[in-house]
Formats: sequence, structure tokens, C-alpha cells
Amino acid sequence: MTQRKPSLKPAAYILLGSLSLLALNSIAEEKKAATPPPQTNGGIDQESSFPKIASGKWSGPVLPDGQPDVQGFWSNTIANHNNFTDPQGGIPGSGRPPKTTRDQRAPSRVSDPASGEVPFQPWALAKVKEFQAHFHDPVEQQWVEPLARCAPGGIPKSFYWHGYEIRQYPNYVLFYFNSGTRLIHLDKKPHLPDNIKLWNGDSRGHWEGNTLVVDVGNHNGKALFGRTGEFISENGHIQERFIFSPDGKRYNYEAVLTDPTVYTRPFTVTIPARRWTEKDQPNGWHFEVGLAKHAGKQAILESEERICAENNAAFGMGAATE
Amino acid sequence: MSVFSAPHLYPIGNFRQLVSLATFLSLVMIAGTSSAKDDIPRIKGKPDFSGIWQTTSSADYGLEPHSNRADAPPGPGIVEGHVIPYLPKALEQKKKNFEKRASADPAKKGWTLGTPRGIYYPEPFQIFQRPQDVTILFQFGHSVRTIYTNGTEHPDDPNDWWLGDSRGRWEGDTLVVDVKHFNDKTWLDAAGNFHSDALHVVERWKFLDKNTIEYKATLEDPQVFSRPFDISVILHRHREKNFQLIEDYRFTLDYDQYYPPKPDSQ
Repeated sequence: MTQRKPSLKPAAYILLGSLSLLALNSIAEEKKAATPPPQTNGGIDQESSFPKIASGKWSGPVLPDGQPDVQGFWSNTIANHNNFTDPQGGIPGSGRPPKTTRDQRAPSRVSDPASGEVPFQPWALAKVKEFQAHFHDPVEQQWVEPLARCAPGGIPKSFYWHGYEIRQYPNYVLFYFNSGTRLIHLDKKPHLPDNIKLWNGDSRGHWEGNTLVVDVGNHNGKALFGRTGEFISENGHIQERFIFSPDGKRYNYEAVLTDPTVYTRPFTVTIPARRWTEKDQPNGWHFEVGLAKHAGKQAILESEERICAENNAAFGMGAATE
Repeated sequence: MSVFSAPHLYPIGNFRQLVSLATFLSLVMIAGTSSAKDDIPRIKGKPDFSGIWQTTSSADYGLEPHSNRADAPPGPGIVEGHVIPYLPKALEQKKKNFEKRASADPAKKGWTLGTPRGIYYPEPFQIFQRPQDVTILFQFGHSVRTIYTNGTEHPDDPNDWWLGDSRGRWEGDTLVVDVKHFNDKTWLDAAGNFHSDALHVVERWKFLDKNTIEYKATLEDPQVFSRPFDISVILHRHREKNFQLIEDYRFTLDYDQYYPPKPDSQ
């Protein structure tokens, strides 16, 4: 249901949105019947805590060019982009406060500093608070979350906006996200000239054992981190580590974000992710695949086309029908 | 080449020598053909189209032959027989599209180009290939098209897609791709040529040499065209040093000035 069709009129979107909510609710119901908490907020929130994964040797399968083979379907395990620093805490100002206490919910995606807060400079923090105050009433353009207009999810939001597929090729790792596509270049060519700025930046990576190390330049800073409005600017720099567990079932994303024009110090973002396979049921959010039609009996998973060009509306156009 | 001057060395009447020369020439020609074939990159024995490709043709300005106009260079067209065989009503629509192309062309809004337009639009695209599939990443819109080459079939009752559902198979060294289940939101070029959601495309991808692909497609749409028609373009490999795609999310330009927040003094 999350296949987004830019051609649809808003009414159809409302229908789609409602169906998505229904789908998620029904997943949540099923899960409740089968297993009581740890779930806190339903289908999207798979867990509230997650293991640390150490960088080290890779002992799993490798591709012909020597890369660890991590191809397949992945998603974050804790929450969507409702709230960056209290991922399972819901959207501030929604009128629907979480039913759990803070310590029952997943930790902030900001893993350093220990406060879990983005070390914003005062002007930037004021802008974030302004965005939050107007999120449900975005009467000015800058208060519309850009993902709601079909903009690419960007970094780091793409890692917690639906599931995604990783495909690997000699010299490349391709992230096929729900909104936007990211190509990591492993061939050591230099970054693009500095005046070129991109929604997903320009990524140069290499493998260190079980860890994909990526340097992101040329970032345009336009994709906010979520419905809570945190941001980095076009002056920012992002260094990422994708640390894969030895069994290939999970990875932790750890990124250091630096931007002397927005933050008072660099800080670290941590996002846990898990793999989804043919043993899992597609669930309309984390794992959105179809089964290929073919003569054999083997289950072959297929991503569906992800294209969004004309959504162009604020959050809430679906919520109004609830 | 010395081979072709060789007959001068032999008396005309020596039949045996002529036969052996003919045999030798044949062998040279066969060897020449097979060495050209071996020159193309391969993955598990099949041609490997991995790389960044772009046409130099003016196809996107108009699939049919056209003179120059204010918004386009002239072009010889890429339609076999020159003319797209529109049904009468569809031809009227095509003319309307042409008149309002400056605003109505989906590419002008930054929307996904569709199939086959993405292939001959004047921006590069990158092919990534595995034995089970061919992934095409278009610079324009950074959209992703997957051509499955794993023996799977079109789904029975899928959604309509911008890029269609692509199932490929190898006929020798030619990748033949059957594409259907389209939406009707894309055009075939900037001149208003269009299709319905009944479009069916059969593509043929073939190396002419390791840096050149011949791309052919047959387009069929009983709601728009009176019969199927063929198009053909040549795609060239980008070989510039450090060349790469630069993501082109054109559809964000209307609003991207509002992000990120800036200090009030600026």
C-alpha cells in the first residue's frame, strides 16, 4: 500500500493513507495476539533496545570482488521518522502522547552526547522548535516536512523511512530506498566539486572487515531528519559506519555528523537495522516485497517500483479523515 | 591488410592454392568475428552492460523526423518508416500535447521519464548487472528500473508502474526485454508523443562493440497506435575520467529553497 503514485489526486491519497494505517493496525493486532510487548507503538516499532555490534573481521559470504555480501532487504527496527530523538515517542504536539514512559521506549538516535540531544547552536535549536510548533499547521513553506512533498529521504532519514534493498556490484553498494536512491562509490575517485550539493550527498566508501565506512560530501542539507525538524546544513559533513553482525542478520548504522555552522560539536547517530528474508511475511512498512511468478517452487522476492514525484502536501491530509 | 594482397603471390590457375587461401581467409574472418565478440565484457557468459550510457541522438526532442524549432534541434527521427502510426483520435491528442508541451511534458515537471524515454533522454543512466537482474539507475529523477533476467514472469495483476514491469531473456548475446503494466503518465518524447496504460514494449539490447550498445524497441498500444512500430538508437559508454551520475531530483526545485533553516540574519 505504500507504493506511491504521483498521479493520484489527494482524495486517493487519503484513501491510500487510511488503508496503510488499517494495514499497520491489523499487523499490530496480530502481533499483540501472538506475542505481548516488547512492542510499544505497534507494527513499525519492532524493538526498544538493540545489541551493540563490534567492528571486526567479516566471516560471512563474500562477493567475487571481495565485498562482504550483505545484499537483500533491510529496515530499521525501532521507529519511523515521527521523532528523531525519542523515536517511539510519537510526533510532538499530535495530541496523542505515548502510553509508555521514556525509559520503556527506544533510546534517542543521538548516541553521543549522552544527553541524546542534538548539540544545536541556539539559533538552530530555535528553528527546530519553531518547526515542531508548526508541524501540524504548516502555514509557511519551510514547515512542510520535505518527505511529504516526495523529496528524497536523505541522510539519515532514509534509514528509518520504510524498508529498503541493498544491491552490490563491483565498486558499488546501491541503497534502493522507498524515497530516493543512494549509490556508494567504492572506487576511490574524488568527491564531486564542492559547489555541487545533493539530497543524498556524494558517497565514497570502503570495507573494513564487517564494516562499510562511508564519507559523505556534497550534502545539500535539505532533507530534515524527521517530523521533529532536526537538520544539518550544506556545510555539514557525514561519516558513516555500517557495522554488520557476523551472522549477517543485523547491522548498526553509526554516523558522525559535523557542521560548525549548525552544531556546537560533532555528534553520533545510531540506527539499528535487521534483515528480512523469504521466511518473513511482508508487512506493509518494513518489508514491502512481492513474490515473483515463475515455474519453480523457490520463493523469489522482488522490490516494487518506488517512485514519488508529486505528493506535495503537508502531513495531516490523511489524518483528517481518521 | 596483407591478407587481401596475398592472391597476387599465387598463379591464378592453381586451384588447390586458391581453395586453401579461401579456407584461410574464412578462418581469419571467423577469428575476426569471434575476437570482436570476445572483446565485450561478460558476466557468467552473458554480455555485461554495466557502465554509464547515453545517446547522442536528438530522439527525445522528437521521435519522428523534425526540423529545428525554438526548443529543439532538428533530428532525423528514430522511428522505422519515420511516422508513428497513430489512431485518428490519438493523433489529435498528440497534436494537443505538442501545442502545450512547454508545461504538459512530464519531464518538464521532473517526473520519471518512463520506458523507453529514459533510455534516449539526454542525460546519462547507469547499468548495474547481476546474473539475476539488470538495474538501471537514471540520473534524471534517480529512478530505478529493474529488468529481471532470472526466468520470472510478469505478475498477474499488478499495479501500473511508471517504468513498467520488465522481464528479460537472452537470445544469444541480445538481451530481449518484455515490458508492460505501465501507467499513462509518461510521454515518449518532448514533442507530445504519448501512450496509454496498454503500452507494451519489447526491447532488444545488443553490444555493437564494448563501448556501444544498439538499443531497439517495438512499441505496441492498441488504444493509441494502429499497429506496432520500431525505434532504434545507439548508446555510448561514458569514458571520461571519474565520470559519475549526479543525482537530478528536478521535481524538488519548486520548494527546495525553503530548506534547510538558516539563521535569521541571512
